Amino acid sequence: MVQKAEPVKPMNGRQRVLAALRGDPVDRTPVCNPTSVATVELMDLVGAHFPEANRDAEKMFRLAATGYTELGFDTIMPVFSIIQESSALGCNIQWESKDNWPTARMNEPIWAEPDDIKVPADLLTHPDTKCVLDAIAKLKKEYGEDVAIVGKTMGPWTLGYHCFGVEPFLLMSLDDPDKMKRCLERMKEITILFGLAQIEAGADALTLPDHATGDLVSGDYYATFLQEMHTEFVDEIPCPLILHICGRTVDRMDYIAQTGMAAFHFDSKNTPVESVEVVKERISLIGNINNPETLYAKNPDAVRQEVLNNLEAGVPLVGPECAVPLQTPIENLKEITRTVCDWHKEQSVV
Amino acid sequence: MAKLADIENEFIRQEIEEYIERPDERGHLIALYSKISPEMQTLAAGVIDGQHEAVDAGTQAALEDGVEALQIMDDGLIAGMAIVGIKFRENFIFVPEVLSCARAMKAGMKHIEPILSASGIEPVGKIIMGTVKGDMHDIGKNLCIMMLRGSGFEVIDLGVDTSPDDFIDAVEEHQANIVGMSALLTTTMPNMGRTIEAFIDADLRDDVKFMVGGAPVTPEFAEDMDADSYGDNAVECVEVAKRMIEEFEAEQA
Repeated sequence: MVQKAEPVKPMNGRQRVLAALRGDPVDRTPVCNPTSVATVELMDLVGAHFPEANRDAEKMFRLAATGYTELGFDTIMPVFSIIQESSALGCNIQWESKDNWPTARMNEPIWAEPDDIKVPADLLTHPDTKCVLDAIAKLKKEYGEDVAIVGKTMGPWTLGYHCFGVEPFLLMSLDDPDKMKRCLERMKEITILFGLAQIEAGADALTLPDHATGDLVSGDYYATFLQEMHTEFVDEIPCPLILHICGRTVDRMDYIAQTGMAAFHFDSKNTPVESVEVVKERISLIGNINNPETLYAKNPDAVRQEVLNNLEAGVPLVGPECAVPLQTPIENLKEITRTVCDWHKEQSVV
Repeated sequence: MAKLADIENEFIRQEIEEYIERPDERGHLIALYSKISPEMQTLAAGVIDGQHEAVDAGTQAALEDGVEALQIMDDGLIAGMAIVGIKFRENFIFVPEVLSCARAMKAGMKHIEPILSASGIEPVGKIIMGTVKGDMHDIGKNLCIMMLRGSGFEVIDLGVDTSPDDFIDAVEEHQANIVGMSALLTTTMPNMGRTIEAFIDADLRDDVKFMVGGAPVTPEFAEDMDADSYGDNAVECVEVAKRMIEEFEAEQA
C-alpha cells in the first residue's frame, strides 16, 4: 500500500497527528517520536541537560520543545525516560548523567506479591510525576495549538519489570499465571491514573510503553496477559493511545491491532512491509527508523532511505523506532522531516 | 549410527523430534542421548521441562546411588541445557521458559559444584561477565551466564553497572582470560571500548579475550572497539566462548 498525499487542506502538526491517529486523511505523513528525541546536542542548545531535564519541569519543557522547534517534528514528547512513575512508586533510580538515560535498579525489586502493590497517595504529586504534568501543561500553553503534545504512561508489564525485577516477574508468569494476572490488574490502576492526569494537564495523546517484546516473551504471552487489558485501557483512558513495544513484535501485531488502540510504535526489527501487511488499517503504525545502526551511526542519506521505505510501505506516521540515542546527530533527525516533505511534494507532482 | 529409538526416555525423544530441526544437531543429540543412562535422561528431561524440585531430588538421589558428580553434570544437566539452548535460539521457547530451565539446572548444580570443586575438576573455562558501567540491564547477560554454566563454564558474574576497574580486578583475582560485556543502551555501549582501553592501559590486553553483545551492539561496533568477538544471542555466546578456549589452547600448543 503506497500512501498518496490526500487532497486535504494544509494542516498544522497537531491536526496532522490527530488525524493520522484516527486513520483520517492528512496533508502529509506526520513525523513524530512517541518515545523521546532528547539528544546531547539538543540539551546543549537549550541548556537543559540530563539528569535535571528528567526531574525539573522547566528543563523538561525546554528540551522537549526542541523536537518541534529544532527538528520540525509534529509531536512534542516531554517524557524522555520510562521511570518517572516507577520513581514515584518507590523504585531505586540511577539518575545517571548528561550522556546517559536514568534507569530503575531492577535488581533491587520493591514488590514480590500482589498485596505488596500499593498506589502511593502522592503518585501524581511526587516530584518525578508532577514535573511531567507541569511540563505538559506548559507545553500545551506554549505550543498546544500547533503541535501534538504526547504524554507517556507506562503499562503494567513494564512497571512489573521495574517493581518486581525482570527475572522474578517473568518466572511468575510460568509459576503462577493467576498471580501474574492479579499483579497486572493491580498495576493497571497506576497506568490509568497517570494517563488521566496527563490528559487533564493537556496531553493530546499518550504513549503506553509495555515491553512484552519478542526478545523476551512469545506472542501468545501478549494475547494471554495483555491484549484484554490493553483493550480496557482504550475505554478507560479517553485519548488516542500509542502502544510502544521494542524488538521483534510482528508475531503479536494481529493481537495488538485488535485492542482498539490508535497506534502501534514499532521497531526496525520488523520490516515496514510485513508490519503493514499484518495490521492493515486496523491500527496506525508509527516508526520505524533504526536507532543504533542508522540514526546514531550513519548519515542523512541512510536515514532518507529508511524514511522512504516506511513511506512506500504505507506507514502512516514516520519517526525513530524508539527513544533516540543521546549522541544522535541532529542532522540525521532533521532528515526525517525533510524526506517526508520532499516525498510528498514528489507524489503531488506525479 | 544411533537412532532416535535408541533413546529410552520418551520425553527426550519427543523433544528431539519436535524441536531439533538441523540435521547435524539432531544427529549429535541422538548420539549423545543414546549413550546416556535412563536415570540421567530423566534428570535431563527435568531440566528441559523446568522441574527444579525434581532435578534437585534427582541429583541428590543419583549422588546417593554412587553416580559420579561429573557424570551427573555432563549427562544430566548439561545435556538437558543443550536442548534448551536450541529451542531458545529457534524461538520455540522464550525467556521465562529459559529462566525456569536454568533454575532447574541450578537446583542440581548446588549439589554438584562443591564435589567438583573439592575434587579439583577444572571447568571448561573461566569467564568474567558483567553489564558495563552506567547500564542497569542484566537479563541478556544473565541468559548468557545461564547458557555458559549450562555448558560447563565457570562464570564470575560482576552484575550491572560494572566499571573497567571492576573488570580488571576480577580478571586478576580469578585468573580468567575471557571477559564478556553486555549493554542494552546506545549510551552505555561505548563503555565496552573504554573497558578494553583500560585493559590496554593496565598492560593486560594481550592476556584477555573480549566478547561483547547486547541489543544495540553490532559486529561492526564490536570490531571498532577492538573486541575479539561478538555474540548475537545467548547460544552464540557459548559458541564464541568455546572458540576462544580452542584459540587459547592452540596458542599454548
